[in-house]
Amino acid sequence: MKKIFIIFIIVAITACDPLDLLEIPNPNTYTTQDFWQSEEDIELGLVAVYNMFYKQGTWTRNIYTQMDGNADDGTSKAGWTELQEWAKFIYTNYDFFEVGIKIWSEHYKAIFRANQVLDHIDDIEFEDEDYKESIKGQLYFLRAFYYFYLEILWEDVPIVLHTSSADDVPQQMPADSVWAQIESDLILAVDRLPDQWNPEDLGRPTKGGALALLGKAYMQQHKWQEAKDALYWLVEGEGNVYYGLVDDYEENFTSLNEHNEESVFEIQFSQVNPTGFDVDFDPNSQLGTQIAINSSPKGLGWNNIQANRWLVDYYKREKTIDGKNDYRLFINFWYNDRQADFPDQTDFLIYGRTWTSDPTWSRQVFIRKYMTTTLEGTEAEFYWNDINFRLIRYSDVLLLYAEVLNELNGGPTPYAIECVNRVRTRANLPLLQNSTYYTDPAILTDQTAFLKHLQTERALELPCECVRWIDLKRWGLLMTQEGLDELTERDKDFKSFELGKSHRLPIPQSEVDNNPNLNQNEPY
Amino acid sequence: MKTKPIDYMAKKLLIVILLLMNVSFIFAQTKIVTGMVTDEFGAPLPGASVVIAGTQDGVASDANGKYSIEVSENDQLTFSFVGMVEQTVSIGSGNIYDVTLIESAVGIEDVVVIGYGTVRKKDLTGAVSVIDTDQIENRRSSDLAGSIKGLAAGVKVTSGGMAGGESSVIIRGIGNLTNNAPLYIVDGVPSNAGLTINMADIESIQILKDASSAAIYGSRAANGVIIVTTKQGHEGPLKVEYSGQVSYNWLPEHDLLSREEWVKFDDMAYDNAIEAGIATKRQSHFPYSTDWQEELFKPGMKHNHNISLSGGNKNGQYYVSYNKMYDEGTLYGMFYDRNSFRVNSSGKKGVFSYGQNLRFVDNSWDGYAGSPFAEVIAISPTIPVYDPNNHGGFGFGDPDSCNTYALNPIARQEIEGRAIRNTYLSGNVYGQIELLKLFTYKVNVGYTTNWGVTDILRKSGSWTMGQADDPSYLTKQINRFGGFLLENTLDFKKTFKNHKIEALAGITYQDERPEDLNSTKYDPLVVGEKYYMTLNSATGDAMSGGGYGESALLSYFGRVSYIYADKYILNFTVRRDGTSRLPIENRWGNFPSISGAWRISKEDFFNVQFISDLKIRANYGILGNSNIGYWDYIAVMNTAPRAVFGIPEHMDLGVIQSKLVNRNITWEKQIQTNIGLDIAFFENKFTMSAEYFISESRDLLVALPILATTGNNGGNPIVNAASLENKGLELDFHWREKVGDLSYGTSLNFSRIRNKVLDLGYGKTEHYTYLSKTEIGQPLGSFYLYKMLGIFDTDEEIQAHVNSEGIVIQPDAVPGDIKYDDYDDNGDISSTDRQIVGSPWPKFETGVSLFANWKGFDVNILGHGRFGQMIWNGSRATAGDFTQSQNNFVTLNPWTETNMDTDQPRLVFGDTRNSRGDQDRWLEDGSFFRISEIAFGYTVPETIIQKVKMDKLRLGISFNNLITFTNYKGLDPDFYDNGIFTISADNNAYPNTRSVMASLTIGF
Repeated sequence: MKKIFIIFIIVAITACDPLDLLEIPNPNTYTTQDFWQSEEDIELGLVAVYNMFYKQGTWTRNIYTQMDGNADDGTSKAGWTELQEWAKFIYTNYDFFEVGIKIWSEHYKAIFRANQVLDHIDDIEFEDEDYKESIKGQLYFLRAFYYFYLEILWEDVPIVLHTSSADDVPQQMPADSVWAQIESDLILAVDRLPDQWNPEDLGRPTKGGALALLGKAYMQQHKWQEAKDALYWLVEGEGNVYYGLVDDYEENFTSLNEHNEESVFEIQFSQVNPTGFDVDFDPNSQLGTQIAINSSPKGLGWNNIQANRWLVDYYKREKTIDGKNDYRLFINFWYNDRQADFPDQTDFLIYGRTWTSDPTWSRQVFIRKYMTTTLEGTEAEFYWNDINFRLIRYSDVLLLYAEVLNELNGGPTPYAIECVNRVRTRANLPLLQNSTYYTDPAILTDQTAFLKHLQTERALELPCECVRWIDLKRWGLLMTQEGLDELTERDKDFKSFELGKSHRLPIPQSEVDNNPNLNQNEPY
Repeated sequence: MKTKPIDYMAKKLLIVILLLMNVSFIFAQTKIVTGMVTDEFGAPLPGASVVIAGTQDGVASDANGKYSIEVSENDQLTFSFVGMVEQTVSIGSGNIYDVTLIESAVGIEDVVVIGYGTVRKKDLTGAVSVIDTDQIENRRSSDLAGSIKGLAAGVKVTSGGMAGGESSVIIRGIGNLTNNAPLYIVDGVPSNAGLTINMADIESIQILKDASSAAIYGSRAANGVIIVTTKQGHEGPLKVEYSGQVSYNWLPEHDLLSREEWVKFDDMAYDNAIEAGIATKRQSHFPYSTDWQEELFKPGMKHNHNISLSGGNKNGQYYVSYNKMYDEGTLYGMFYDRNSFRVNSSGKKGVFSYGQNLRFVDNSWDGYAGSPFAEVIAISPTIPVYDPNNHGGFGFGDPDSCNTYALNPIARQEIEGRAIRNTYLSGNVYGQIELLKLFTYKVNVGYTTNWGVTDILRKSGSWTMGQADDPSYLTKQINRFGGFLLENTLDFKKTFKNHKIEALAGITYQDERPEDLNSTKYDPLVVGEKYYMTLNSATGDAMSGGGYGESALLSYFGRVSYIYADKYILNFTVRRDGTSRLPIENRWGNFPSISGAWRISKEDFFNVQFISDLKIRANYGILGNSNIGYWDYIAVMNTAPRAVFGIPEHMDLGVIQSKLVNRNITWEKQIQTNIGLDIAFFENKFTMSAEYFISESRDLLVALPILATTGNNGGNPIVNAASLENKGLELDFHWREKVGDLSYGTSLNFSRIRNKVLDLGYGKTEHYTYLSKTEIGQPLGSFYLYKMLGIFDTDEEIQAHVNSEGIVIQPDAVPGDIKYDDYDDNGDISSTDRQIVGSPWPKFETGVSLFANWKGFDVNILGHGRFGQMIWNGSRATAGDFTQSQNNFVTLNPWTETNMDTDQPRLVFGDTRNSRGDQDRWLEDGSFFRISEIAFGYTVPETIIQKVKMDKLRLGISFNNLITFTNYKGLDPDFYDNGIFTISADNNAYPNTRSVMASLTIGF
């Protein structure tokens, strides 16, 4: 107390703070000034960018509902009305938090994180320059990756390339500028990423992953030659030694054979943190995915997303070389005739239930891929699971490559047909030229017919994997009445699709309202 | 400072009035004495009473203070005047007796506690509301703020009825955009004055509303200051007083649909959904009927018992009290329990005096997780409370029977319990020394500490459809708060001739240090139904976390006041504050104020008989605010991110900045001007005060929402963003009179506050929320919504709803849908069709009180109201036309082909276009006037109770919140509202409870 009185006498005379009574450091954590000093800090920053995979607005939940629900392979019968409406182009509240706001803001959070590390990495000396470059490669890949999905969903989005400030009002860019940004980051990534990672680093993007995403980016812009150059390395170039198709199609969707030869890029999920949620400031946050509960049938899970019936019919049109139904149908979906269609299979239960256990399931089609395999017949155990999401599969790349060759050469080249056949062969289907169902000879010669056929092949190989919406945009089906008619025939959700409007989402209204450099996507 | 209870003053006033009424009654006596009655400045006192002691014979002094009275020799004359010390003079042989009355230092009506001192009310230059503690003595709201509701102009109090809930107080409108809570000074120490104050201990409450009165508190006073003084002992033998209240409390309820009605409407909603292709068949409906309000809303008893002991002698006084409050609450599973003690003492020896105040409060309560008033609407009456087939045993939605994610509120409370215990200790000790009869030096040391423990038990089970089977866990959260205060003040007082000078200089140092720890452990031990509540007994994995905060405030202040001849009053105050919460460059702020007053009634030329006092006041000053987080200007790293890699997988740590900050934040300042008028009529029977103020808040510190494209997470950064202006008018009227045995009075206050946004920060000209728009030049938070024009009855009407170019605006609509206004005329209903449709701001607010007292019987009526504001009724938006099989109100009258004469759309499951929240259909006139209290009491006459050695015995009964005049259809138009950009949005707020209370006071 005496000391305090002395302090007071001193401070009283000066009327300020000579003893630094008011200089109180924050003892809780590092400040930004303390950080970004070493290689280790950069590594920590990089991990924090990967952490953004585990958010409801990125890859743990709603992006599946939104991307598959909008496309013609999926539809939503979610009990949550707004979720259902968003999956079928009815956007009443543009600020719908669960989907619009979460996806938008969490993508930009990921970009903010990548930008921070990129802004600091060049100030740090690394012992091994190659290692430093590989980190930069990952950062460029990740940033491009998030812009890719922003572009797919919203198109004209603001671009942010440096550590943000609170008062930023970033400029909205037209789609071609956004694509240019994605390309430039991916090109930087390709040069810096390794062909393969050691087992302990699996989950990080490889050179092939970056090239595949770059190829996709080019293809969306119909830059066919550049796309071919990018995909070439994976298919025909020296990179193709790393890739192939797994024998059992199902291995793409379970936790048993992750990072296999078919996996070009996958998001690593884990059950290491068994509870919690995706809270940004909780070190025990979930690192699993909700893909299974999100899509599992009503009464078992949320049933936020399910498949459209036409897929079942399409599969059954063509039989395998031994006269059976396409095994991919068995793996991908649960539906009413499944047992009859696959008599030599044994596993027909849906999380322990029979199809007839719920009469309302009727002719609905539920997504089976990525179902929780560790489940033991109970219904509440699959809230989170740990199955890595195969975001880019090699079969996707092969079919894209076939599409590129078709576009470049005004028709399918033999190699394009071979690519398709590799995918068909794995599915035990006859070669395309031997197909007893796809008998139109134009498919093998005519550019348009081949593309149309590819649209079917892709639907059957990659259904409900967040690929179809990207495809529909690339094929232009969303921009013409003819395309819309075709889609509406398969998926009545397209009845509420409006040409010139519904091919992209409304930008969150709070963002438009509060950023003078951002306009709402017309005519929302 | 010492004050005496109000009834003392009232009695004195009464005597004066009585005496004045008897002036004409004069006995023939032997001589006439004359003289003049003046105050200490020599100013004549008109209307002073001059009475022959022991009789009721007397006269009043005239306008010049002169009197003349017939007396006998050896009589004594008693001179008295309101606010002055009574003086008795023995009549000797002289004929002229001039008397100077000295201002009495006690009496709440006259002395107002201001920062670091007191001032006579008549010398006030600022706007200060003095709460009549008589009126709150029997109005025992749990918290202080709730008890002053409606009693002061310009002070808006909103509260909910939650057990253990605290009220929100906003003085003179929203002055900033973060926290509008005023500063509470309890016995000179800034401290918590919510539930930790025992209302029975309160001696006086004053509210400093403008810059000049609050300036001495500088940086913390921008929201106004509420000064609370607790009771002290008085000289005399031990006094014991018990007072207790028991009340029965209940909640208002919605009139919701019964099961049968609900099923009928739900089928209708599904039929429409089937037609639209959204659903395939009607729901099969659970065979149950649940009245969720009956399950959740439980009327409860509230007990409040106080006992106090007080007394002392010339050299020392003491006051000790104990309070027990137990509130059963009005909701399932809630309660609030409080034990509190107080010890106040003070003393004097020679030039030294000292004092001490200490309070200890131990309270505990069970919190409610969730939003009960939304939950009872959101859930269907067909869902059972209990369902043994579900995990955990509670009923909830099912895709086939009732496809809803509505949560079962009973299950939620049972499965996720939250129990809070809090221990609060606050005290101060002061010593002062008087030097040369001019200076007083005072040292005041205060300390406040708080310990809180929260237990959260998550049992195994679900409360909603599709919920995770989270493992059970037990969480303990422990927080500690320590706050230290040291004040040194030097006071100077000098009166000579017509001059009175007071000066004050001081330094204070204040700090606070909160810290917290939380630990969660999975798999708590369960034996049968019983969960063990210790972490040791839990067997699963453990997680823990915690943090720390610290801040300090160093201040220098001074005040000079000068009064000349009781007529001219001048005040100058300055405070210099430094805070650790701002960066070093911007750490210091200076807050000066100047004020003056002129008592016109003291001027010689003023000669209006019926006006006993007239004063005008004016002041100007700057207040500050730095009420933000401890280190809001320092950007920190987030160490929580994790990611997994590799085969076999391993988890890696990540570190990144998640939250953005603004480094250059500085003091928020509020510049205020206040003009006031005080006037008293008819010997002070009728008094009136009027205030007009303009306050402008600049560089408001606000966590203004920033764009998601920044990638910011963890809350919006604080920025000196906006500027606001508030202008207001406040009127207070008081009338008090005694007629025979009846004394009665009334007081009435009005206030009208207009705010305007001058600047929004970050260069913005507009700011939007889901329901509101704020524009520069306009008030905060105007309702900005889609406008409903009507209901489409036919396809023709849909086709006819076109814009100026003939485009059909809602081509997808079907008859029964809402016709929205295409405000921007672009042929589509989209975000640009929102428009300003109403104001959340009342045109004026008022408070009224009436009291009457007749031979020990008393009655008190309190009322308050707000008029002209719109309320967004969240309960109706929650009900939302069966889009998700919610419940609805008995007034539901949906459009059907056979029922077109309605303003409610058709019901359709799974389509929210008609029920969107951001439409004006949910806006309602929120005007109301509420009789918040009607109280009756009877005080048994002393002549009777003195036979049993009692001093006081009073019995009372009161009725609270039973009568409300309003057209608002929600539960309570007077709901707790601390919104800033979205104001007057009733998101199913906790309504005020209704209650009947009996009270008993016994004094020995």
